[in-house]
Amino acid sequence: MAARALTRGLLGLRHSRTVTLTYSGGHHYATATSVKSPQPQVDEYTDKILNQPLQKPDFFRVSELFSLKDLFDARVHLGHKKGCRHRLMEPYLYGCRLDHDIIDLDQTVEHLQLALNFTAHVAYRGGVILFVSRRRQFSHLVECTAKDCGEYAHTRYWQGGLLTNANIQYGSGVRLPDLIVFLSTLNNVFQQHVGIRDAAKMNIPTVGVVDSNCNPSLVTYPIPGNDDTPVTMELYCRLFKMTISRAKDKRRQMEILHGLSAPSTPSSCHE
Amino acid sequence: MAAVMRVVAGIRFGARFSSCRPTRSSSSSAADPPRSGFAAAFDQQSELRREVQSSAAGPRVSSSVQDQSFASLLRRSPLVQMGPARDKLVVGRIVHVVGDDLYVDFGGKFHCVCRRPAAGGEKLQRGTRVRLRLQDLELTARFLGADTDTTLLEAQALLLGPVDGREPQSRD
Repeated sequence: MAARALTRGLLGLRHSRTVTLTYSGGHHYATATSVKSPQPQVDEYTDKILNQPLQKPDFFRVSELFSLKDLFDARVHLGHKKGCRHRLMEPYLYGCRLDHDIIDLDQTVEHLQLALNFTAHVAYRGGVILFVSRRRQFSHLVECTAKDCGEYAHTRYWQGGLLTNANIQYGSGVRLPDLIVFLSTLNNVFQQHVGIRDAAKMNIPTVGVVDSNCNPSLVTYPIPGNDDTPVTMELYCRLFKMTISRAKDKRRQMEILHGLSAPSTPSSCHE
Repeated sequence: MAAVMRVVAGIRFGARFSSCRPTRSSSSSAADPPRSGFAAAFDQQSELRREVQSSAAGPRVSSSVQDQSFASLLRRSPLVQMGPARDKLVVGRIVHVVGDDLYVDFGGKFHCVCRRPAAGGEKLQRGTRVRLRLQDLELTARFLGADTDTTLLEAQALLLGPVDGREPQSRD
């Protein structure tokens, strides 16, 4: 925990209090508020590069990446049958037609926009993003998506202590992901993926596609939508890839524009 | 019926109606009594079409797409217009083949798995379009002692044959 706080210490500690609204993982920096920023250059850097995207609600214009018609054509609104419905998904459902649940795409559009915006901000700040999906049908797609945008994926068996026991299993000082994106929140046996609970324990924000039989309660940014059709999964993967690429390009552009180089942090040199 | 079909075709392709219009509506164009039924609907639709075509200066495609709400998209979607899925004929596309099993995607949430028929089965490869008779869009069942249904994540349909097949086969 202290190791993680130190690695992120130079990257915007001063304004960590101001970003708690948009960056829900910011509250776990509270232990390191006593660390002071060393040089005035860092302030200028943080003001120009890190604070500027926070001034606008949709700095990366992620709402232009998709439209309601795109979601409809990709069959995002199709849910499972009424008998498979999770009680907590009822607010996100438009209705039930001949025993098949229909997910409300108006809400999905808002949730998807929030989730993509958050993903873009995390990628902009050089955060580590982990894609998780236990659907074997789409595991190759998810891994290719992660590789194409320079992030990470875990589509295999999730060991119990992957996040909670990381310091012992992988050595001390390991960096945990800053955002976990679940493209399907269920295991194969209709249990919820262990990663959702573990990420909540480790204060890692999660973005997750929740179908009508999933439990959305522990997911930070749920996206109510279909997670069973190949067309839909391709749409999600494409959207996440475009968002992350756009955010990283914007970061490079901002650094060149302001003529500042990043301080010596591992923020933008992870691969 | 033939006159109606020609007029409908004219509306769809925006062709001139005057030559195809049946004689009774052309005679009533100068008459006073208000139109009703098909004639009124025809006039209204042609008026709307003229308005749409005349205001084609701006980005017409984007405005027509944005104007459609989710409710109207859903109501007009083939899945809803089809009604109950039992015994409906649809066209699907084979997306995956595992030995004798064909995984067919017909536009629903799930694919269906059909066994390759004995006769004419060699034609059915990935990408072939086939006709199906749907039984169920999602195979679910509530077992004793369970809180929620157990789903197989599959649809069920009977394979009738390729789209241009000459001999219809009914195999599961």
